Amino acid sequence: MHISEGVLSGSVLAAGAVIAIAGTGIGLKKIEYDRIVHVAILAAAFFVASLIHVNIGPGSAHLILNGIVGLLLGFAAFPAILTALLLQSVFFQYGGLTVLGANVVVMAVPAVMVHYFFLPLVGKSPRLTFAAGFLAGLVSIFFSACLLGTALWLTDENFFETIIAIFMANIPIMIIEGIVTGFCIAFLLKVYPEIIPVKKK
Amino acid sequence: MNIIYIIICAFIFNFVPVNTAFAHKVIVFAWVEEGMIHTESQFGSKRKAIDSAIIVTDEKGQILHEGVTDAQGNYSFKIPESIESDLIITLKAGIGHQGQWRIPKADLIQVPSKDDIKASMKEKQNLEASPSILKIFAGIAIIFSMALVIKFVTRKKGRK
Repeated sequence: MHISEGVLSGSVLAAGAVIAIAGTGIGLKKIEYDRIVHVAILAAAFFVASLIHVNIGPGSAHLILNGIVGLLLGFAAFPAILTALLLQSVFFQYGGLTVLGANVVVMAVPAVMVHYFFLPLVGKSPRLTFAAGFLAGLVSIFFSACLLGTALWLTDENFFETIIAIFMANIPIMIIEGIVTGFCIAFLLKVYPEIIPVKKK
Repeated sequence: MNIIYIIICAFIFNFVPVNTAFAHKVIVFAWVEEGMIHTESQFGSKRKAIDSAIIVTDEKGQILHEGVTDAQGNYSFKIPESIESDLIITLKAGIGHQGQWRIPKADLIQVPSKDDIKASMKEKQNLEASPSILKIFAGIAIIFSMALVIKFVTRKKGRK
């Protein structure tokens, strides 16, 4: 899901950076004092998730976990994802520094969206909680793939074949991510409900 | 007398088959596909131009790439980087045999080929296959350190 250096055009990179800065600013402002540790935990989980690879057929895929980060953090997902992506870029050469803004937008915007779409379902019943987690994981990857495709398409319309290939490669990740997020949310609701904002109200 | 002699000679030479340097015309044809420039070279007689030099220059005449055609008269190469003008591909198939083809700059937008994408994906997979444990722990430590700093800085606000 990480876009590499030198792929996107200057205007797309600039737009990505502006949206990422704006989102991070809003996110930092919205973080409550008591939730700072939760943001760190989820940023660390996001940072590590990309390093765990699952073999699917001839290729391999890795978890992204932007669904769970967004569902639990809302706008605070922006600074969490920015920090994790920055460290991934520096330590493991995932993505790159010039493309950091675009990568943050690709992963954080869907994360914020799923927070507002599916958080109201969490805690209503065990089934709805799992469904909310599943959909958050699935939909966040779906929208991330859409945003990634849009960024590539805005750079060059000839990328269309690549966009289709990326989208197809992400279909199994959507399902896996949905299942993982569903179980995680159901588990967290039982053992650590404080991390779920809905339970606090 | 001399004038008549010259006219007769000119008339005779007019019927002599002339074998100029352009008798074996060579043609080079080039096109762009998946980040590569492909060329096909042949003589006017459809005979392939084998082992002929391909010289790629910009409009100022600066040489950007050179190569030699294969047994089929073909030669392919990657689009040169940082192109500022149209590309002129010159085929030199021996003394006096030269053909040219111009590729407009607009056609030279580098689109990564499938091989490029596969190679970079392979490289990425290799890189991702062996993340350093030390770096993972360093990353997690940095994240929590940042959280602690933010918590410390905003502690007064948090107490209110």
